[in-house]
Amino acid sequence: MAISAEAPAIPGILPGKVGVWWFLASEIMLFGGLIASFIVFRLGSGGWHGEAAHLSVPIAAVNTLVLLTSSLTMVQAFATAERGDQRGPRTYLALTILLGLAFLGIKAYEYTSEILAGFTPGTGIFWSFYYAMTGLHALHVLAGAVVNSILLGAGRLRNPHRLELAGLYWHFVDVVWIFLFPLLYLA
Amino acid sequence: MRESGAGTLDTHEHHAERGFWRTYVFSTDHKMIGKQYLSLGLFWAVVGGLLAHVMRWQLAWPDTAVPGWGEVGPETYNVLVTMHGTIMVFFVAMPILLGAFGNFLIPLMIGARDMAFPRLNMLSVWVFALASLVLLVSFFVPGGAASAGWTGYPPLSAKVEYTGVNWGLNLWILAHALEFAAFLMGGVNYLTTAIALRVPGMTFFRLPLVIWQQLTATTLFLLSVGPLIAGAVMLLLDRIIGTHFYAAEGGGDPLLWQHLFWFFGHPEVYVILLPAVGLVLDVLPVFARKPIFGYRWIIYSTIAAGGLSFIVWAHHMFVSGMDPRLAMPFSITTILISVPFAYIMFAMIATLYKGSIRFDTPMLWALGFIAMFIVGGLTGIFNGSAPADIYISDTYFVVAHFHYTLFSSVVFGGFAGFYFWFPKMFGRLLSEPLGKIHFWLTLVFFNVTFFPLHNIGLAGMMRRIANPLEYEYLVPHQWINVVATVGAILLLASQIPFVVNVVWSLLAGKTAPKNPWEANTLEWTAPSPPPPLNWGATLPVVYRGAYEYSLPDMAEDWLPQDRALAARSR
Amino acid sequence: MASHGVRPNYVAIWGWLVALMIAGLAASFLPGARGLAVVLIFATAVAKALLVALNYMHLKFEPRLIYAIAIVPVLFLLVLTVALFPDFVFSR
Repeated sequence: MAISAEAPAIPGILPGKVGVWWFLASEIMLFGGLIASFIVFRLGSGGWHGEAAHLSVPIAAVNTLVLLTSSLTMVQAFATAERGDQRGPRTYLALTILLGLAFLGIKAYEYTSEILAGFTPGTGIFWSFYYAMTGLHALHVLAGAVVNSILLGAGRLRNPHRLELAGLYWHFVDVVWIFLFPLLYLA
Repeated sequence: MRESGAGTLDTHEHHAERGFWRTYVFSTDHKMIGKQYLSLGLFWAVVGGLLAHVMRWQLAWPDTAVPGWGEVGPETYNVLVTMHGTIMVFFVAMPILLGAFGNFLIPLMIGARDMAFPRLNMLSVWVFALASLVLLVSFFVPGGAASAGWTGYPPLSAKVEYTGVNWGLNLWILAHALEFAAFLMGGVNYLTTAIALRVPGMTFFRLPLVIWQQLTATTLFLLSVGPLIAGAVMLLLDRIIGTHFYAAEGGGDPLLWQHLFWFFGHPEVYVILLPAVGLVLDVLPVFARKPIFGYRWIIYSTIAAGGLSFIVWAHHMFVSGMDPRLAMPFSITTILISVPFAYIMFAMIATLYKGSIRFDTPMLWALGFIAMFIVGGLTGIFNGSAPADIYISDTYFVVAHFHYTLFSSVVFGGFAGFYFWFPKMFGRLLSEPLGKIHFWLTLVFFNVTFFPLHNIGLAGMMRRIANPLEYEYLVPHQWINVVATVGAILLLASQIPFVVNVVWSLLAGKTAPKNPWEANTLEWTAPSPPPPLNWGATLPVVYRGAYEYSLPDMAEDWLPQDRALAARSR
Repeated sequence: MASHGVRPNYVAIWGWLVALMIAGLAASFLPGARGLAVVLIFATAVAKALLVALNYMHLKFEPRLIYAIAIVPVLFLLVLTVALFPDFVFSR
């Protein structure tokens, strides 16, 4: 796996963690670019309140709760592994995957009802942004669920390091949604 | 216990065990991966160069068929212009300067056995190879390859009916996405490796400048590419799903693309420039037998330039119709960014002052870089100033500017590095006479080709036009186009000594010793070429910086980083 | 791996996250001027993000370098957003 020096050059830093944070920095710029564009367009267009009214706040709120809880289960998977717990990591990781899939399922239901109501990506610029932002986010949730499933399948969850790294990515995806929710649904 | 893992390995046995595929194709060794990036970059350099020659022939003799190609109409010319730019920036400059030199040098120069994530490294070059394949395929799909410029501005790029290119442009976007993914993976590797795997004694301020420049360039790429990926996702959605991000009639705005593209595009040119600067900064002290001038301030300037590079982007948009109030702030930041780069050029020249210059081929290329980059940098000041740029934007003046800066980076900087590290990479010495011929011919014909473009640009010749003779006011200046084309053909021919040199040296060249140039940095303490895992049982220990040349009271004019001195005054 | 000593109370953080989410929802129903509501909504969002980043992502315990990697992109995004205002907010 990673080739590590006997004594890492900066004490307290593990190579894997540095690597993941750099990756997250680039992801911040990716979502940030999309979000910055959305913000300036929205401010310049009178607020899009009419269009946004067609979104379902209750569904999104439920999804927010799902994702927040999945962050809890993800970090608990790491914490139990760190404490040496045998079953904890597997259980919590499995829960995280399930919650992630639940998020995706709810999102799929949401998209379906919106499309059936006639709101497609081409309906208007608000909808273009809505589908692009939540779609890109959903792809990231899916990728996270896949990574977590691979971790779960590979076993060897006694080393908390990998769980911490996967957790960093998962929490990041949660943070993106923490901003998408008010940007699209609430404001 | 110095370290865990494999100790000494017999190279020969090791290679025989691993077989052809594991050694040359599916390797996790950073040196092999560097060579793979180099090979792909050189392949694309040939393709991109040939496209340029078709363009130049068309420009010089517009009413004739190009030999080996045929008639070039406006649509074809758009494809040539687009793919030449895309290939040179993303598939030549980045893989060679960042992918090849970064991969090969970073672990060796910091005393590491490999990158922090060797399998991720292998994945990165394979994803890049896939990106190459996708781009290659895009030439052959119905509708042909992308033709909306390497900058891909909508509305032209957003609607199929405007270019007539359908899958070619979609594949173009996909190739970029894959290329970005490859370099993101590589970038994470470079930064983590340099932060975490330096040997004891190798503090940040003892690192060779190659490393500092690679790290800064990598950081710039990592932080700037995100908004462009966002923009590319939006472009793809506009093309495929019918969203309206860039379509004014749908509530979108084509200008958004330009902002997102250049927010990345400007740091990107420094992603290309900085590694080249690093290569030159490490060649100069070795061949001047003098420490680099102003090491710390070079680092500070590099970081300052890197930071500033994020706030200059709209100087590419002075004539785009953006809010005119943005012109002044971006002109100011652009003028500002010339200051740290000027410092670095002065430091390079100061390094030479009173040095004992050895005019070997790597040094010639490094000196050529300084001269050519100064020309390019000076014209940059005119381009970066809004009032002047209103006139010269989108003319051949800009083309001349960026060829002087990019060519000096990729060609002069790249060859300085290639001739310098060739012995270490391949275990053979290159021929000096052939190298010198290569340099002088390239220098002369590069200037013959590109200097006159300043003049024809000021005379008003626009970019991206297929037939200059259609414009009455350009007809008297057409001789310049002919000169440039002849120069280009001779410039291509000037590369023949290089090809002969490399092939001959690889097959039958003199074996290279460990340290043919008497240089201080750690890679020269490993065999030429280094075995897998780079050193034997023990890694080097570092005692000093990289530039201790011609110290007073020392018998030799160089002092390697890893040599422990007997206890006496430093 | 350096020992981290005390870990945050992850469940308590989750409680705060849910509470902040509800607060944000409530703020979105505030009658009157939209401006105040928007400020409150995004304040809760920023607070939630910080809680996740500092506690779940352990930023609180990481060396300064990691902080820098996380903060610098945000600063650049602010620059980008501000620079986009003239073309997209003031003129549309």
